[in-house]
Amino acid sequence: MSEMTWKDFLSQAQEFLKISEQLGDGWVLHEKDANEPNTFLKYSHKIKCQESKDSDFTLINVEYHIVYSVSYQVPMLFFQAHRSDGSLLDLEATWRVFMPDTASKDLYQMLTQTEHPVLFRPFMALHPCRTAEVLDQFGQPSANRVLTFISLYGPHVKLQLANAYGLSK
Amino acid sequence: MSESILQFAPWESFVSPTFWHKLAELKLDHDRLSDAQRSISGHYTNRKATGCLLEADYTSFNSSGQPPKFSHAAVGTIYNKNTIEEFKALDKLTLLSDEGKKLLADMCSDRVATDPSLLTRFFVLSFADLKCHSYYYWFAFPCPLTPTLKLQGAGTRLKDLSNSSKYVEALQTLPPDVQNFFILYANDQEDAVEARSLSSLDEKEVEHYYFGFADPSEYEHPAWLMRNYAAFLLQRYPSFIGKSLRFLGLRYNQQMQMDDSLIWNVVQTEACDLNETEDVKFVGWELNKNGKMGPRMVCMRDSMDPAKLAENSVNLNLKLMKWRLVPDLNLEIISQTKCLLFGAGTLGCAVARNLLSWGFKHITLLDNGKVGFSNPVRQNLYTHADAVAGNRMKATTAALRLRDINPSAETVGHVLEIPMPGHTIGESLRAQTEQNLLLIEQQVQAHDVIFLLTDSRESRWLPTLLGAAYEKIVINAALGFDSYLVMRHGSSRDEAGDSGREIVGLKCINGNQLGCYFCNDVTAPGNSLKDRTLDQQCTVTRPGVSNIAASYAVELLVALLQHPQRELAPAYYAQTGRHQSSEDSGKVPEGLLGILPHSVRGMLCNYENILPATQKFAQCIACSAPVLGAFKNEGHAFLFKTFETAKYLEDLTGISEFKRLNSEIIDFDDAEFDISEDDED
Repeated sequence: MSEMTWKDFLSQAQEFLKISEQLGDGWVLHEKDANEPNTFLKYSHKIKCQESKDSDFTLINVEYHIVYSVSYQVPMLFFQAHRSDGSLLDLEATWRVFMPDTASKDLYQMLTQTEHPVLFRPFMALHPCRTAEVLDQFGQPSANRVLTFISLYGPHVKLQLANAYGLSK
Repeated sequence: MSESILQFAPWESFVSPTFWHKLAELKLDHDRLSDAQRSISGHYTNRKATGCLLEADYTSFNSSGQPPKFSHAAVGTIYNKNTIEEFKALDKLTLLSDEGKKLLADMCSDRVATDPSLLTRFFVLSFADLKCHSYYYWFAFPCPLTPTLKLQGAGTRLKDLSNSSKYVEALQTLPPDVQNFFILYANDQEDAVEARSLSSLDEKEVEHYYFGFADPSEYEHPAWLMRNYAAFLLQRYPSFIGKSLRFLGLRYNQQMQMDDSLIWNVVQTEACDLNETEDVKFVGWELNKNGKMGPRMVCMRDSMDPAKLAENSVNLNLKLMKWRLVPDLNLEIISQTKCLLFGAGTLGCAVARNLLSWGFKHITLLDNGKVGFSNPVRQNLYTHADAVAGNRMKATTAALRLRDINPSAETVGHVLEIPMPGHTIGESLRAQTEQNLLLIEQQVQAHDVIFLLTDSRESRWLPTLLGAAYEKIVINAALGFDSYLVMRHGSSRDEAGDSGREIVGLKCINGNQLGCYFCNDVTAPGNSLKDRTLDQQCTVTRPGVSNIAASYAVELLVALLQHPQRELAPAYYAQTGRHQSSEDSGKVPEGLLGILPHSVRGMLCNYENILPATQKFAQCIACSAPVLGAFKNEGHAFLFKTFETAKYLEDLTGISEFKRLNSEIIDFDDAEFDISEDDED
């Protein structure tokens, strides 16, 4: 098992940011304060979604944070969505929007609400317990494991990276 | 050429939670009672636009806000009213008209020409209910009602123009900060294409102009802001009336290509001088979610109320238990169950904290003591400062601390003395005692669960009786020096629950046949504080005992609440021999959280628990029919008789007779318990 150190995470996140800046797709590196691990990658976009099967399509804003988990020593994907009036989607609403076809008993193993390690607020998170294992399967060819992580985990919560990320060296 | 009326995509407000956070902060720390209007800004993007959004967030309140990358600024005002009544009563037409006139004044002066972002105008009428964290708001995007613009032909994509690559090239030279409103000069005869700022406008060149603007609309129609743009141009340059004007809505995709930009040829045939016209009409209030003319309301409690945040986080922990380990756990029942704690000492504090951990919300404490210097180290809701203050009552202090820990808990403390059998009440205290009795009775009736956590035997008598009389769940915890007893009292509810299953090797007692704390006694509680040395008067226990007992007490309650039969659930114990063989005890039927014993008796000296179950005693001095009957018929008069002398209870129940006949069964359970100690040798 190859966990990741905070320094690895930080340098790979900075590399990721460089690619993003070339592409101009709007990722930023958010530095909260001087207490490490204090920095995370941030991205937000708007998506059209249905909060339930019969409701109209509405627009929500989703903010994604790629944060370093000290306990699991892997990157973690945190996110939070809000509606046009500023109200946040709670866990149940998040499940309905992002994982409408998943059996409810399986949901908590994938997407739960937990405390954001940098902001100390409840946030939605994809569960990190198998991240190290998953990243390992990609072995050495992955030059940037933060990038690999985002491209693997992001699509589960409507976060797609441009193909250009895969091409850049 | 076909002509139709040009329609616009209306703005859709899109508010970030941070906008409300900032508004709340400003209202609390700066504006307070002032409801003066405040300048704000918004922003919109024409890159990969979704809908036609005007966004507001915390940066909206900055005095010189830079819009985010790929976005442009809109100019706005917020009218945050002090009351919902003012919010409702405000004349919406007048406000729109006042705001519209300000816009008009800007258009007619040079201000728009130098800062065209003034055309992208909005205002918000709001009321922030900071107590409930509710925000009522209504966005408006004022625009003068001018003669219609006729669209000549259909909108054309920039890509489909013959010279599009030259146009694109020219547009790429335009600095981002002037892309909100600009001119694309295209003179095909002279083969000159050039992007220029709006201030360079020369009305003689109009036939070579595309009036460009960053278009945040994703629809076929241009965004609402073009309406003000056109109104401004036609007002400032009356020669444009009747002329075909070309507008270019600049739209980027994710890759920053502008191929999807659209061009509309429009003409306004009817002259209209907005300065001359009396009473220009304005439009622009946003429709609410139901498509109606009306304000919106958003409740931000979940993310803004610290109490709610704490509550959600506490629930999160409990839900994890539900999700992962006990899917059928009913957290609703727990949060709704009201607990009354007799005693706010070592046991009371520890029980209360455990209740909070489980998500109980309603906790009431009864105690008559003050916080003393010896208390804080063991009684975990108090601090040294409470003792120094000298006048802090345990019940109220504990209630306060519980709310400090979880602000969404509903806790109350009542300072009062619990009347006890054999503790004679003098004439002078009679009225006070009457009052206390009334309060205690009323509290018992108002709660679902009663915890007996006092430090003497006789103080448990009244709550035991009341718990039985009002059919409440009663959980009792009592401490010895290094031993403890935690039990649930048998239910006095008469309804026949399902009888417990007969299981070979196990004896089963139904929930309404289980005994209470006093059922094993053949003496009425007297004044146990009489004739005692100091170490006997104080509760001298190994400190861990109270925490263990308090934890068992709360866990026992939770297991009971999660059991389908609740307090009527039967208890089982091994019939053969004193030791429950592991084989037999393995057969005890389990509820959601395992077995539900009648009582847990444990010792620290050998770290052992046993789980005896005992029958109700027909002569019990606290829960038997004669006692409950006397209380029902005589009420307080009966209680006062028992306070006078405990002997009265013994006679009433016939227990004195019983005592005379057979004294061998005294403390049957304790005797049994002692033997288990001997076995260790």
